[in-house]
Amino acid sequence: MIQIENIKKSFRTEEVETLALNNVNLKVEAGEFVAIMGPSGCGKSTLLNIIGMLDNPNEGYYHFNGEEVGGLKENQRTKIRKGNLGFVFQSFNLIDELTVFENVELPLIYLNMKKSEREQKVKQVLERMKIAHREKHFPQQLSGGQQQRVAIARAVVTNAKLILADEPTGNLDSKNGIEVMNLLTELNQEGTTIVMVTHSDRDSHYAHRVINLFDGQIVTESQNKPFKVNG
Amino acid sequence: MLKNYLKIAWRNLKKRKIFASINILGLSLGFSCVILIFLFVNYHLQFDNFHKNSDRIYRIVTEEHRDDVDYESSVPPGFAKGFKADYDYADKVANIYTREDWQINGTANKKSLRFRENVVFAEPDFFEILNFPLLEKLGDQTLNQPNTAYITESFSKKMFGDENALGKTLVVKNKETIQVIGILKNLPKNTVIQGEIFLSYKTLKHYDNFIYSESWGGISGSLMCFALLHPNQNIAQIEKSLIQLVTKHRPTSKNVHRYKLQSLDNIHFDNRYGGVNVSLLWTFALIGFFIITIACINFINISAAQAFTRSKEIGIRKVLGSFKQHLFWQFISETFIISLFALIVSLAIAIAVLPSFNELFMLNLSITSLLDIKVIGFVLVLLIFVSLFAGSYPGILLARILPTLALKGKLTQKDTGGKLTRKVLVTMQFSISIVLIVSTIIIGKQISYAINADLGFDKDAIVMVDIPEKIETIKLEGLMERIGKISGVKGSTACLTSPGGTDSNWTTGIRYNNRAEYEEFYISAKLADENYINTFGLKLVRGRNFYVHDSITEVVVNEMVAQKLGLASSEELIGKQVELNGGNIKATIVGVLANFHDQNFHKDISPVFIAPQSNAFNEIAIKIDSQNTDVLLAEIEQRWKEIFPKYIYEFSFLDEHVARQYENEQRFLLMSKLFSGLAIFISCLGLYGLISFFVAQRRKEIGIRKVLGGKVGDILLLFTQDFLKLIFIAGIVASPLAWYVMNNWLENYKYRITIDWWVFALAIGAIATITMVTISYQAIKAATVNPIKSLRIE
Repeated sequence: MIQIENIKKSFRTEEVETLALNNVNLKVEAGEFVAIMGPSGCGKSTLLNIIGMLDNPNEGYYHFNGEEVGGLKENQRTKIRKGNLGFVFQSFNLIDELTVFENVELPLIYLNMKKSEREQKVKQVLERMKIAHREKHFPQQLSGGQQQRVAIARAVVTNAKLILADEPTGNLDSKNGIEVMNLLTELNQEGTTIVMVTHSDRDSHYAHRVINLFDGQIVTESQNKPFKVNG
Repeated sequence: MLKNYLKIAWRNLKKRKIFASINILGLSLGFSCVILIFLFVNYHLQFDNFHKNSDRIYRIVTEEHRDDVDYESSVPPGFAKGFKADYDYADKVANIYTREDWQINGTANKKSLRFRENVVFAEPDFFEILNFPLLEKLGDQTLNQPNTAYITESFSKKMFGDENALGKTLVVKNKETIQVIGILKNLPKNTVIQGEIFLSYKTLKHYDNFIYSESWGGISGSLMCFALLHPNQNIAQIEKSLIQLVTKHRPTSKNVHRYKLQSLDNIHFDNRYGGVNVSLLWTFALIGFFIITIACINFINISAAQAFTRSKEIGIRKVLGSFKQHLFWQFISETFIISLFALIVSLAIAIAVLPSFNELFMLNLSITSLLDIKVIGFVLVLLIFVSLFAGSYPGILLARILPTLALKGKLTQKDTGGKLTRKVLVTMQFSISIVLIVSTIIIGKQISYAINADLGFDKDAIVMVDIPEKIETIKLEGLMERIGKISGVKGSTACLTSPGGTDSNWTTGIRYNNRAEYEEFYISAKLADENYINTFGLKLVRGRNFYVHDSITEVVVNEMVAQKLGLASSEELIGKQVELNGGNIKATIVGVLANFHDQNFHKDISPVFIAPQSNAFNEIAIKIDSQNTDVLLAEIEQRWKEIFPKYIYEFSFLDEHVARQYENEQRFLLMSKLFSGLAIFISCLGLYGLISFFVAQRRKEIGIRKVLGGKVGDILLLFTQDFLKLIFIAGIVASPLAWYVMNNWLENYKYRITIDWWVFALAIGAIATITMVTISYQAIKAATVNPIKSLRIE
């Protein structure tokens, strides 16, 4: 599903140029659950942003489902991202002015889905995330765990093939953290590919494979559990 | 999608109440101004647009070519007859002759009533040319018989109450009895024809033989000639052919006439012929544009500054699949909602102030004017324009936010950009405000100069009282004697008009010192008794006052006569013979007066003569002791009524007449004051919003500065110095612009003030002070907070 070859990404401020990713190569199969680990500033989030097509690499190739997407313009990237990719963030990133239902509904609106269909899908996914009873609440009225469940609901409501999770349990207590990881595992078992950035050793054990980044390069890669390529 | 945008917009409004209120209030004020200005402009643009065949209706006017060109909205009384007889350009031609404030007596319910009204003597075809519909008429009579009249329904109600006015009689000027033969629908306010009583033109023979005689000897500004031309006429060709009328009827006159055809839609706007200055309308429209621009700038600045606080939402939307254009249109929708709110509030404001607006600008607008299709169209266009104008820039800023930074909370104010744009926009606001303040000061100064300058005659504490026309000498003398005996009356004179402060100006040709020909210039006649010079405090610089004899043998002139005659000294005038008024006056110049402003400051001082022609006296001027005005006025009225019991007593103060000559300018001044005040207020609202936002943004910095020893003054300076710089730049930009605009405006005056540098300094200083006051409240509040609190927030 994801094939990254020799990508480089640097950020330039007025005086300094920082190399965030340096010749990174990565392959993620459909259905795989990959954890990316490493110290702060090692380039984990930059890599995740590139995989999520929120940013472009300066050099190298990025094939998504066989299509080169590394050099696409913002609107083209948005087109591919819509419906294919779901995001889960450490700080949940729900829109404060929208209710739970409306937050989850938002990606479907951008897919121009009909209202009746949207309602059905949102209700379904909220049921599944066990948050349906809170559908009319605003994010500030929910606990952290509940907010993250809403974020996951929003990520999966489009039946995204790939979920990118950036430290999804970073702002949660251990109980809620485990719940979120179980949800992600469940989604993975149903066929959703997951790439997760984490600091947590515990969370990394949910993944099939763990990649360690340091100073913008992949330094180690370990297999937690076997992953079988379907088909 | 739209529903989602609107939902978010509504919730954002609720969440950011202060900013929303600032935006809505600013835009509401801007909208109400623009709507009212549109109504004002539209009202004027619709003058006389309701007549059938309006494209074929023309007023014939005259260019008088002497040493100068004068423009008269009239023609000689004989013109209409000549035009009809000698040419075949028109279906109909008709004269009307209007006189103001004539006394009308009538009887209703056995009760006698009397009023002063504008009367119009009209030829029957006038009502075939212009559309003033008759509601009822007596049989099939038209205005072709003497002593008949149409009256308006409002005058009918005023004079006869609920009784049917048809067939009833009126007495005009205590002289002729007139029968009402028709009731006209009330004339709209937006027509150049203003009158309540339309007398048949044939009735004029009892009142003004000069007009009725169809003479070619002169022009009265009270006469107007309208023509309904045949279709497809060549106007230039008609005007050219009319030269033959001049050759035929005025072959030797030094005052060479050129007759021009003025289209109906041009009458109201041709200021050469007494119309409204159209540039005034466009100035108001421009001011309206400025005000709404200022309100939009507030919106843009506050929204752009807030883009930073909305970055998370934008980041999320982008991640979830929103294209840039989605975000752009989302913001436009939000702006639309705010603008719609503002529009609703502004309509309420406009409705509330409409009565005062009507009174102030002499309009006749009702709430239903707002339902006019043009107004609705304009309001919709305005709404869309403001939504796009105010929403586009913040929309673009928001759409270009990088989601990767936004979601990590690493976005800074710098990343959202727009700092330079904000500075430019704020400078623009300051510049507009400075231009408006400078203009207001200069207009005010010029009007004050015109009203308070030494006009060369006394205007204070002088009461002008109308007297019936052509009264017997014995009655006038009796009145003057009685008034002269009142203790507190310092002097009195009977005259045609006061030396200045009047629009009515009788001019005539002059033949000097038995020269072969009349002079190129015309001289203004101030016909009055021997007390005129003393009562008005005119300065006699040569010779003496005239003595009154049975016929006019002596006159006094002003120094301008010597100048116009090209004499080296006014001394030369004394003892010279002059022939005036077509030879009716042959007299010796016995005195020369210092020049005085017989006209308003737009015009040059005219050559003037004063002669005692008592049959032309219209009013008396009484100089009174201003300490005792009320008692004196009552006594004057009593004496007057003893002599003229059948007439309506009317008086006015001369200084008010002088001020009234600048009525339009005073209205313009008032509008400038209002709009400048509003512009400054709306700008301050925006500044307040901006500064509140900046203070919130820099709370941590303020805390750190205070911990490190910063004083309140230092922190105040931190916020004010940027704005002071912008005001300085605005001053540099606005001052030459304001100078240019106002210098152009002052060019309309022959007597004008100079533009002093301090006016600009004052305007800039005022803006700086107002800005400082606006900013200081928020800045001092932030600077006096305990720094521990500020740092804890972070």
